Amino acid sequence: MDNPMPLEERQLTGAGSGVPVIAPGHTFGSVTDKISAIVLTRRTPIGWYLGFMTAAALTGLLLVSLSYLVVEGIGIWGNNIPVAWAFDITNFVWWIGIGHAGTLISAILLLLRQTWRTSINRFAEAMTLCAVACAGIFPLFHTGRPWLAYWLLPYPNTMGIWPQFRSPLVWDVFAVSTYATVSLLFWFVGLVPDLATLRDRSQSRTGRIIYGALALGWRGSAMHWHRYETAYLLLAGIATPLVVSVHTVVSFDFAVAIVPGWHTTIFPPYFVAGAIYSGFAMVLTLSIPIRAIYGLQDFITLRHLENMAKVMLVTGLIVAYGYTVEAFIAWYGGNAYEGFMIWNRITGPYAPAYWALLLCNVIIPQILWFKSVRTNVIVLFVLSLVVNVGMWLERFIIIVTSLHRDFLPSSWGMYQPTFWDWSTYLGTIGLFLMLLFLFVRFLPLISIFEMRTLLPEAKGEQ
Amino acid sequence: MALRQTADELIPELRRYQRQLLLAGAAGAVVSFVGYVLNPAQFFQSYLMAYMFVLGLSLGSLALGMVHQLSGGAWGVVIRRPIGAAARVLPALTVMFLPIAFGMHHLYEWTHADVVANDPILQGKQLYLNTPFFLVRAAIYFAAWNGISFLLNRWSLEQDRTGDRRLSRRMQLLSGGGLLAYGLLTTFAAFDWMMSLAPHWFSTIYGVLIIGGQALSAMAFLIVVLVWLSRRKPLSDIVVASHFHDLANLMLAFVMLWAYFSFSQYLIIWSGNLPEEITWYMHRLQPGWRLVALLLVVFHFAVPFVLLLSRAVKREPDTIMKVAAAILVARLIDLFWLIAPEFHQDGVYVSWMDVALPLTLVSLWLGCFMWQLRGRAILPVYDPQFEEALGPIIDQGGETPRTAH
Repeated sequence: MDNPMPLEERQLTGAGSGVPVIAPGHTFGSVTDKISAIVLTRRTPIGWYLGFMTAAALTGLLLVSLSYLVVEGIGIWGNNIPVAWAFDITNFVWWIGIGHAGTLISAILLLLRQTWRTSINRFAEAMTLCAVACAGIFPLFHTGRPWLAYWLLPYPNTMGIWPQFRSPLVWDVFAVSTYATVSLLFWFVGLVPDLATLRDRSQSRTGRIIYGALALGWRGSAMHWHRYETAYLLLAGIATPLVVSVHTVVSFDFAVAIVPGWHTTIFPPYFVAGAIYSGFAMVLTLSIPIRAIYGLQDFITLRHLENMAKVMLVTGLIVAYGYTVEAFIAWYGGNAYEGFMIWNRITGPYAPAYWALLLCNVIIPQILWFKSVRTNVIVLFVLSLVVNVGMWLERFIIIVTSLHRDFLPSSWGMYQPTFWDWSTYLGTIGLFLMLLFLFVRFLPLISIFEMRTLLPEAKGEQ
Repeated sequence: MALRQTADELIPELRRYQRQLLLAGAAGAVVSFVGYVLNPAQFFQSYLMAYMFVLGLSLGSLALGMVHQLSGGAWGVVIRRPIGAAARVLPALTVMFLPIAFGMHHLYEWTHADVVANDPILQGKQLYLNTPFFLVRAAIYFAAWNGISFLLNRWSLEQDRTGDRRLSRRMQLLSGGGLLAYGLLTTFAAFDWMMSLAPHWFSTIYGVLIIGGQALSAMAFLIVVLVWLSRRKPLSDIVVASHFHDLANLMLAFVMLWAYFSFSQYLIIWSGNLPEEITWYMHRLQPGWRLVALLLVVFHFAVPFVLLLSRAVKREPDTIMKVAAAILVARLIDLFWLIAPEFHQDGVYVSWMDVALPLTLVSLWLGCFMWQLRGRAILPVYDPQFEEALGPIIDQGGETPRTAH
């Protein structure tokens, strides 16, 4: 065997699982052509315009909803004591969770030398950014006075008032803003060499100027690459703890309170697993249509889909473990309120949502044990939607059912979402999709230069 | 090629060590029996701690082995045989559980009918916390753990003999379900044997905390074993710095996980400050025990964490072995801190049996481990990953391959 791969590269690449991470027959040139053409030369498909316009219409709905909210106050939502957190925080946690898959794929899988990540990382990172943008909207507008949101930050002020540093809600401000910043940097740094490719290949003057400015003078010299590799690895190291820390802090938002259904020690790892679960579901939801529309089956192969399905199976089982232990301890603990909380979830007014959650998150995903399911694109797509719904229901159940039955029956209440609850939620889905449509149209959705390193040609040069 | 020979033929001194360890264990058992006669309550407390420690070595190894079946990677190929040998101590551990079954009355308050009669909360838990069901559950746990270990080891041996690649598929399938079973059963075993020492207290992360501890114990032990083996032929020609680097990175990950789980549990209970939960920490954080807790913060997390960030430490067999051995000691102290304060609520107390029983059980466990290690080839030569993970090194006659970064 001539020129064996270095030992460390061989590990964990999952070699031997059959389907390659890039279809045979590609060269440096064909990879660059195929990916950059989506942005530069190919006619934009009609589907893109239709999709973009739908998403933009929903974004318009979001703007209307938020404007009305600012004028009228958050009374337009169904939130009211005892259910002071409802759709807004459910959606916040849901969106933040979705972002986690992007960070996991780009940072952790990079450090673990999982080369299959290469064709999905750019795309997943963009998804993270869009999801964090959507997530940020909810707590910001839930304050009711978003123009005073800077009060959340600790700064010396004439009133001598500081945030309550013991409150995880304050940690959340730091966690989420750090997360957004690092994700943006990581994504942009990774884009620089490809932006230079677009600059060099662009036929239009505007394109050359815009891509040229964004490429920061990248010429591809050995020195540039050396600095780039160092910076990218460092950013990956910084981003890795964020995969765990952000959703851990989100789980503390609930767990440090003494509300039955919130105050339980399993929350941090179980929230993190749930975040990755929903994030991978969303990556599948998006990548399956995109690879079909743009003909990228050579780059996003069945191997990628199957690996993502496996991650979903594992994280889904961890989530199921969380439900099991939580229910068992609610009984075992002997606390009447905890016991009632679980019983209320199972049989109370929101029971249909609870059972739907178990169906979507625990029962249906067990079909992922079968390889035939993991490699069936249609089934995977439907399943990813099911898990997206399931993970949304999970947050809804945790937040609403825990709050609506307080310690005192006299303070019990019900929550009903209003039109504006729904419109804001749908609006953020529109915003998320609109941003992604723009990304797909104007930036290379697969990392061109990293894909080239996967080719046999690149191996020969080492 | 020497790789097909059994460890017994390659490393003859294993037999001598095995005998010495088993003899030491037998001597320790005699001494421990004196302890049992003098102070049975203390005997069972120390025994439970020592037992959970050695059980963690076997179960953690079993779990890591199953993870490797599913994930692949060179890190697991070089430690596969020690993993198997550690898992094959499980039948002996099953027998070693009997003293706990006999000592239940000394350990578990909920077995006292008079206490339960005056305690409505414990009455509510009687459906789960009662002696017959406790024993039935233990039987289920051991049946499942032993069954999984038995099948995986048998198929692996068969593969060694026949080279049948299809067995790998079968082992992977069992490992998928096996990990699920291991996770659930170990959680409930942790609830039964350790959490119910404080029968009013509960924590949903407790099982995860014990599982993470087992993985860390097993990884640290396997690193020590691999360093020891790598000083002898034939592994001295095969195990290279990057193997230690990978294993040490995994150990670092487990150190961080343990700290993450422990801190999460502490923060959530401290913030809530509910009487039913915080009492558990109040016993463990009163003067005296607080010092043990601080020792854990420093030596179970901070020091190994900082050391394991260093590339030089991870790649040098001598230093990584020392770090791993220190982590094993810290693991034992962690179990001590989880168990002993429940019985000594007025301040820190270390009995001579807290030293004698771990020494005894570790000697016996290690003796069984050596015995199991001897019977098989030192590397899984027919493992599908074998060629890929170790082929180049063997081809180059032990030259360290160029590393990726």
